Amino acid sequence: MDLAYTTEQQAFRAEVRAWMEANVPQEPLVTLEREDGYHQHVEWERKLASGNWGMVTWPEAYGGRGLDLIQWLIFEEEYYRAGAPLRVNQNGIFLLGPTVMEFGTDEQKARFLTPMAKGEVIWAQAWSEPNAGSDMAAITTKAIRDGDHYVITGQKTWSSRASFADWGFGLFRTDPDSKRHKGLSFILFDLNSPGVTRRPIRQLHGDPGFAELFFDEVRVPVENRIAGEGEGWNVAMATAGFERGLMLRSPARFQAAAERLVKLFRQHEAKAAPAAREQVMQAWMDAQAYAYNTYAVASKIMAGGHIGAEASLNKIFWSELDRAAHRTAMQILGASAELRYLDGGALNTWLEGYIFSLSGPIYAGSNEIQRNIIAERLLGLPR
Amino acid sequence: MDFTITEDQATLTGGVRDYLAGVHAPELLRALDASDSRRSADVWQGLTEMGLPGLLVPEAQGGLGLSLLDAVLIAAELGRAGVAEPLADTALVAAPLLSKVGGQEALLAAIAAGEAKVALQHPVNPWVADLDGASHLLSVEDGALLVAEHSGGTDLLDSVDPLRRLYVPIAPSGTAVGSADALLDHAALIAAAQLVGLADAMLEQATDYAKNRSQFGQPIGSFQAVKHHLATAVVKIEFAKPVIQRAAVALQEGAASAPVHVSHAKLAASDAAWAMSETAIQTHGAMGYTYEVDLHFWMKRAWALSGAWGDRAFHLSRIDAAVLGGALPIGPGHSFA
Repeated sequence: MDLAYTTEQQAFRAEVRAWMEANVPQEPLVTLEREDGYHQHVEWERKLASGNWGMVTWPEAYGGRGLDLIQWLIFEEEYYRAGAPLRVNQNGIFLLGPTVMEFGTDEQKARFLTPMAKGEVIWAQAWSEPNAGSDMAAITTKAIRDGDHYVITGQKTWSSRASFADWGFGLFRTDPDSKRHKGLSFILFDLNSPGVTRRPIRQLHGDPGFAELFFDEVRVPVENRIAGEGEGWNVAMATAGFERGLMLRSPARFQAAAERLVKLFRQHEAKAAPAAREQVMQAWMDAQAYAYNTYAVASKIMAGGHIGAEASLNKIFWSELDRAAHRTAMQILGASAELRYLDGGALNTWLEGYIFSLSGPIYAGSNEIQRNIIAERLLGLPR
Repeated sequence: MDFTITEDQATLTGGVRDYLAGVHAPELLRALDASDSRRSADVWQGLTEMGLPGLLVPEAQGGLGLSLLDAVLIAAELGRAGVAEPLADTALVAAPLLSKVGGQEALLAAIAAGEAKVALQHPVNPWVADLDGASHLLSVEDGALLVAEHSGGTDLLDSVDPLRRLYVPIAPSGTAVGSADALLDHAALIAAAQLVGLADAMLEQATDYAKNRSQFGQPIGSFQAVKHHLATAVVKIEFAKPVIQRAAVALQEGAASAPVHVSHAKLAASDAAWAMSETAIQTHGAMGYTYEVDLHFWMKRAWALSGAWGDRAFHLSRIDAAVLGGALPIGPGHSFA
């Protein structure tokens, strides 16, 4: 174990820091869950890509930099340190990208990865259905083969980014007689295809960031399928692993939140409840613990190891620490916590953040599902 | 930057685990509990033959010269096996402290040979463990750490942990060998590491019980409520481990920030072990409320160690000073700085 950064890693950090300081927008962007904010974030995504910072861990051939996971962690630290905007391309970066990299053909990689890295195509995920949320194997939306196309009919819901994004990816039942995990395929589709209707859903904060998708005989070329027909479940499970595991929630995000929480506490120390003091310290400790663990997992993967059901430990830890940290902030703000805009007209980012943090224990497999996975796969308890 | 345990470390840890599982099984704890002294010359002899007292003693004095990172991995194994002999205090706390100062070569050699046992006396603790069987005592006067030969105990106190031997402190004396803070940080770190080992052992016992105990016609481990209790505890345990490793490296390197990392480690490990003890007894049901199930040995050791070497308030106050007080740089980019 060597916790010092190498000279090269330090030089890389300086390079990221310099670029971010010169390019991160001075004013905060409007939330990407609204149409105007979405377009601002797409613009930022393209600016990142212009500096070749869009997908730092991807191979250079697809618009990345070919960096290792420790460099990725350094990149993320500098990204959050600079206060850079959230990534509108998150589904592409952390979910679809790694999936196409692992399961896609060379042609699919060339076709989908490079535009993703350049911020030219923004992706929505289309997993859940009205009756298939945590029980994703219960999906019923059909994709029936018709020559060179699949014809998709059915409904997806809670599709992040789908109100405004360009393309979507999801699981569809390509064998209409199949049950549960079998007969599913992983298919990519253009959200502007004839027959796709998007109905934006107002989320808890009032903005329509995700959507219901209705498919009315939508024709999708067979070459948009990732991996074999009927192999979708395994592909989706790998994608879900990326989502729960290392890549989705970089520790820098929580370290930044803990740092802001400490500042908030100092401002309100005189009137804060005694328990708040300890909760603020706990937020810092948990953010640090998550960072150490992420570095440990990254080191393990770089040494040839794998992360399996352990990803569920990460998902529970980051989602619960995030919620606790934002709850603490709301309690410190007291009567002001309910205001959408605080003194001086600034957006109450703690309120926004608290609302968003409530989704963490639900999405990417609810924490109840994660606990079942830990109990059954890590502890070996009976199903 | 490489946050991994080496293969050598994994091999060493696995070897110690296997050895202790063989010689220090729960039946041994029960036998010690039935004895007057709660200590066994035979067990100590066996631990010595395995080379455990000399792990952190320099090679020149007959030890293996390992680091604090190795020490926390081994300390976790001592916790996992519920080792009652004063091995952690002597081998994993006193030895590295004594190795840092000159003139202690004879004592270090005696530690490696299993001939010396060192008791630790510090103002943060109201009592001293294993004072009676110790040949030497590390004690604190005016912030300085002193070492002296010692024999005999004074008043034995009654700990809830049946294998813990607590004594009233005696007057400090001896030669200066370091600072009181160094003793506190080393001992708190090793206590934290033992706590995660204790938690791992309790998890294993509770999981085994949940697999085997049937109610309503099926193993209780198939019930989601039981699964979720155990899974919640696993998260706490697993996320305490890298904190301990990070603290060990900081202390080994003499980083100025080491005390706050040690406090973080002690808090995280205590929380994990405490939560695991409550989860384990709940999983065991009424059986867990008896002396007949092994669980209580681990649970009580966890209560004891989470209060020793700086309780919750003590370690929170150090985090407070560093983090809320602004002495420590925090935020993204400060994972290790």
